[in-house]
Amino acid sequence: MEAALAATRESAAGGGRARIRVRGVARRYGALEVFRNVDLDVADREIVAIVGPSGCGKTTLLRCIDGLMPVDEGTIEVNGERITQPIAGVAMVFQHFGLFPWKTVYANVAYGLKLAGASAAEIAERVPYFIALVGLKGFEQAYPYQMSGGMQQRCGLARALAVEPSVLLMDEPFAAVDAQTREILQFELLRIWEQRPTSMVFVTHSIEEAVLMGDRVIVLKGRPSSIHEDIAIDLPRPRSRETLGEPRFAELRERVWSTLFSEARQAEFQLEKAR
Amino acid sequence: MTADALRRHGPFWLSLIIGMALWEIAGRMANPAFFVPLSETLVRLWQLTESGQLIRQFGESATLFLTGFVLAVAIGMPLGLLLARVRLMRVALEPYIMILYATPMVALIPFILSMMGFGFAPKVLVVFLFAVFPVLYNTIEGARSIKPEMIEVAHSFRSSEWALWREVMVPYTLPFTMTGVRLAIGRALVGMVAAEFFLSSTGLGQLIMTAGQNFDTPGVFAVILVIGLMGVALMRIGLMVERYFARWRD
Repeated sequence: MEAALAATRESAAGGGRARIRVRGVARRYGALEVFRNVDLDVADREIVAIVGPSGCGKTTLLRCIDGLMPVDEGTIEVNGERITQPIAGVAMVFQHFGLFPWKTVYANVAYGLKLAGASAAEIAERVPYFIALVGLKGFEQAYPYQMSGGMQQRCGLARALAVEPSVLLMDEPFAAVDAQTREILQFELLRIWEQRPTSMVFVTHSIEEAVLMGDRVIVLKGRPSSIHEDIAIDLPRPRSRETLGEPRFAELRERVWSTLFSEARQAEFQLEKAR
Repeated sequence: MTADALRRHGPFWLSLIIGMALWEIAGRMANPAFFVPLSETLVRLWQLTESGQLIRQFGESATLFLTGFVLAVAIGMPLGLLLARVRLMRVALEPYIMILYATPMVALIPFILSMMGFGFAPKVLVVFLFAVFPVLYNTIEGARSIKPEMIEVAHSFRSSEWALWREVMVPYTLPFTMTGVRLAIGRALVGMVAAEFFLSSTGLGQLIMTAGQNFDTPGVFAVILVIGLMGVALMRIGLMVERYFARWRD
């Protein structure tokens, strides 16, 4: 196991091959161009957070990477495979949780494995492990409506992790839960990632969340939007609650904030000058 | 009986006792050719049961009911799912389904008679036609109400079309179908009696007809009582099945 881990680590570093490679991608809804000229590489075990104003196409980009939606220009490759439809090795966590309400926690977590053709023995072995990993032990037989939003998203996360993806796509996963739960889930996710590191694209509205999670923060903006800036987050890992208190964290948060809102601020300045 | 149980079930039993008493009193005051008291009905019911007549005819009616009803569910549900998923088929067939659903099926009986005659099959067809549309209609409406997000999740997990049906479409739609099934139970019961009246006379329908022609009013009411109780029991079962399949809904 150790050796195998070391080997994958080396090949990721040595090969320099990106898990996700987005090249010149554009997407339109009818006449409306959502984004254009998007180039993005995500390395093995790298977390890239994407922030941007509402309607900038963050989620659309993520769905294109998952293969749920075709691109109009450019190409997307994941693990060297050109994306035209969802592929194995990639799993998505949805903002609306996307749990099947008629399935129990156990059946929801088993869903992806079942579709992937896992044997009954494999399912019986892996499902309890991932349920325990996300802290839902004891809730195996609960239905989604019986659980809080935070617990539902834990279940959504377990379902995605259970297929042991090399790439996780997070579509504003904590946007629909309350602020306190959101904070708890952020640190839970960081803890789980330390145990089972994957490449991750993390779409969020929250600048703080982006800085906390990401190795890089991508700022998407403009109309049509494109990558405005790619900010390296050099905070050490493992990250925890203490990370939030570090001066470097505040600096980086400020940096992302000013990038995101520079135009708004300029407009404000001009307004003041005019006075 | 505790005070709580009395409060909960008291009104039901009280109402039942008052209803039975009213039947008894009204029956004693009315012309026995039209209406008879409850006690006489029950005596006649016992006689019919003892002679084995009621049991045999009940068996025949039950066979007819079950055959038509099971066919209605077995065809109505898959067809409903198919129509919900395949837009072209739905657009093409929906007007006919709506027309047939709205048509009182009794109106079709003479046509069925002239087409198929007096056997068992035409009667099954009548029960089937009475029962199939609520199942079909509720299945279509249910399957169409599925959120696109659910389908998207399935696609994200690389679901095949077959797995999409098995894991998503069917379990989501079942509670809706079961609402249709519950409605279908009542309609199939009407279909059963109508078929036994107007096509070859058998079963409980025949028993009512013969009793009526012989001015055996207690016999008529005895059989009506049996059919009524059968309906209540079936509705109860339908409701339980419906709840079972909807247990994941809050």
